[in-house]
Amino acid sequence: MHRTAIATAAALGTLLLAAPTYAETLRLGVVSALSGPGSAWGLAVDGGVRIAAKEINAAGGLKVGGKTYTIEVTSYDDKYKAADGVTAATRLIEQDGIKYIFGPLGSASMLAVKPLYEQNEILALVNSYSDKVLDKNTKNIYRVLPTTREFIEPMVKWVKQHKPGLTNVAVISPNDETGWASQALQKEYYAKHGFKIIASELFERSLKDFQPLLTRMIAAKPDIIELDTTPPPTAGLIIRQARELGYKGAFVKIGGPGVPEIVNAAGKDFAEGTIVYVGADASDTKYKWLESEYQKLYPPPMNSFNVFFYDAANMLFESMRKAGTVGDVKAVRAALEKITPFKGMQGTLSWTGKAYYGSDHQLLVPVFVGMIENGEEKVVTKIDQ
Amino acid sequence: MTAPWPAVLPHCCAGRHMLLAQILSNGLMTGLVYVLMALGFTLIFGVMRIVNFAHGELYMLGGFATLILFGNLGWNYYLTVVVAAFGVGLFGVLLQSLLLKHFIGRELSGMIMALAIAITLQAGANIIFGPEEQSVPRPVTGVLDLGAAVVPYDRLVVGGFTLVILAAFWFFLQFTRWGLAMRAVTQDSEMAAVQGVRPGFIHPLAFGIGSLLAGGAGALMAPIYTIYSYMGELPMLKAFVVVILGGLGSIPGAVLGGLLLGLVESFFATMYSTTVATMIGFALVIVILIFRPRGLLGRTA
Repeated sequence: MHRTAIATAAALGTLLLAAPTYAETLRLGVVSALSGPGSAWGLAVDGGVRIAAKEINAAGGLKVGGKTYTIEVTSYDDKYKAADGVTAATRLIEQDGIKYIFGPLGSASMLAVKPLYEQNEILALVNSYSDKVLDKNTKNIYRVLPTTREFIEPMVKWVKQHKPGLTNVAVISPNDETGWASQALQKEYYAKHGFKIIASELFERSLKDFQPLLTRMIAAKPDIIELDTTPPPTAGLIIRQARELGYKGAFVKIGGPGVPEIVNAAGKDFAEGTIVYVGADASDTKYKWLESEYQKLYPPPMNSFNVFFYDAANMLFESMRKAGTVGDVKAVRAALEKITPFKGMQGTLSWTGKAYYGSDHQLLVPVFVGMIENGEEKVVTKIDQ
Repeated sequence: MTAPWPAVLPHCCAGRHMLLAQILSNGLMTGLVYVLMALGFTLIFGVMRIVNFAHGELYMLGGFATLILFGNLGWNYYLTVVVAAFGVGLFGVLLQSLLLKHFIGRELSGMIMALAIAITLQAGANIIFGPEEQSVPRPVTGVLDLGAAVVPYDRLVVGGFTLVILAAFWFFLQFTRWGLAMRAVTQDSEMAAVQGVRPGFIHPLAFGIGSLLAGGAGALMAPIYTIYSYMGELPMLKAFVVVILGGLGSIPGAVLGGLLLGLVESFFATMYSTTVATMIGFALVIVILIFRPRGLLGRTA
């Protein structure tokens, strides 16, 4: 009886010890807003990474340095909040011992976990619109999403080339940190490319009656009303109210995407011809595949941010293959920095940022110029940077 | 950022009078909606001595009723507005009979109760409908071009509806027994009770009518703006400013105050900025509170 028990225990112990040697596991972490108001974008971070991992696993796993790894993704919800972001990142780093993390997505959460990533030498592929995320001392953090600074210039150039008759620009932006920063960039780049800024307005986010503001703006005779980072439903209201006041010029929105909401609020006729920045080409077959994979994880609609994190995950996997290791984070990081130009899902990706942020930790991705046609977003052209 | 008179006008198409005409028409259309909100708010205060901080949420309920009935179920828009208004009115009667009737005359506790109701309704709408702003298609499109100014037809419809509601409301107060009873309670609730006016009937009725007006305003504005759980906050704030201007509890004061605020805001928002316009609105409140605390048409306590 006694001997049987010992034998069983020994057998069990051998099994438990032996198990890891058969299947190597690469563990990745995700910190993102998986619930609450920011989750439309937050789920895209998780979705993109999980789809990329699933694809590799289905093809037999990640082959690095003669070993094959099964990829496992652990995600924690930061609810778009700084405190929850710190908790999530700490759990991933200390409890789970994970060395590669995607996210957070929100600026507050991202800035809060930044020192954790740097101190623990976590290779982090993140998003945040804040300029403060990257600086000359940034070592372990890479931003894989474009901010206004990255996509504004190709967009403005395109408008200049394709709408040569338009010169006077009026900019309208929300009155908060997001709007102040993006409006300053709009003014800088429109002026740089030969446009004349004739009016710039900031509005409180609760404002819905834009008639007085637009009456004044239209009196200054703009050729273009630039809607900047105005939330899509509000942008739709502005388009409608300006058209009703007799505005005949163009609308451009070099800010966050959201064509369905714009069309809903503006009406199909008024939204027609609006030029918009588009993050990803939704008509692409690979995009459609991504959408169908996403549906298996979360309820649709899929946000275009998925593309960025799907690409980011694949860049990380390729860096590991190049480095020949998954355990040596420094070697993987060095490989990651040398991996661009990288062929992403919809175009070429490359590191940039030295000139402005002080370090080449910003990913430059293709920019799509979109136009609203018959109530739908239509990609007019792709600009590879 | 803020373009004062001279900076605006050299660009402007047909000069000062044209801009003024547009300011006037914008202000009038906005002012009429303020009146609709403020009327119910001031009626409830006049009759029950309750500062109804949930008034904005009744507006929000009217908006969501439009989203469901008109937007999702495809009802006729005008029928939707009537059903939404009466639905929210009925909801108001329930609120009053279940929760607020215990606070009649106790201004502070009543205000806190109303605030609690407001936050509960907001959070509830947020859970059920989500945090995103939603839109319904517009029942009327196009603009009326007056030459000097343009007025969108949908705003005209709202203006027309408001005038009809105002006329009906005025008729109700002046020429019906219930209206008379309501005015009596507003003037002196104890004496009214002595004369046989039953507060148990008049109070829910007044709250119901006030809610109906707010719900109607929300239903009317829903296609013009966007629909979301916090959509009532701004109209509530405006109603508050209007009744301070006009005099808390005064019906003619609410009409005068609403139109005045609409026009003043429209002028300053066009000439300077919406932030300045909001500031001027509240500056008016400060001035009125110091120099004429009963408001423009309010009676002395």
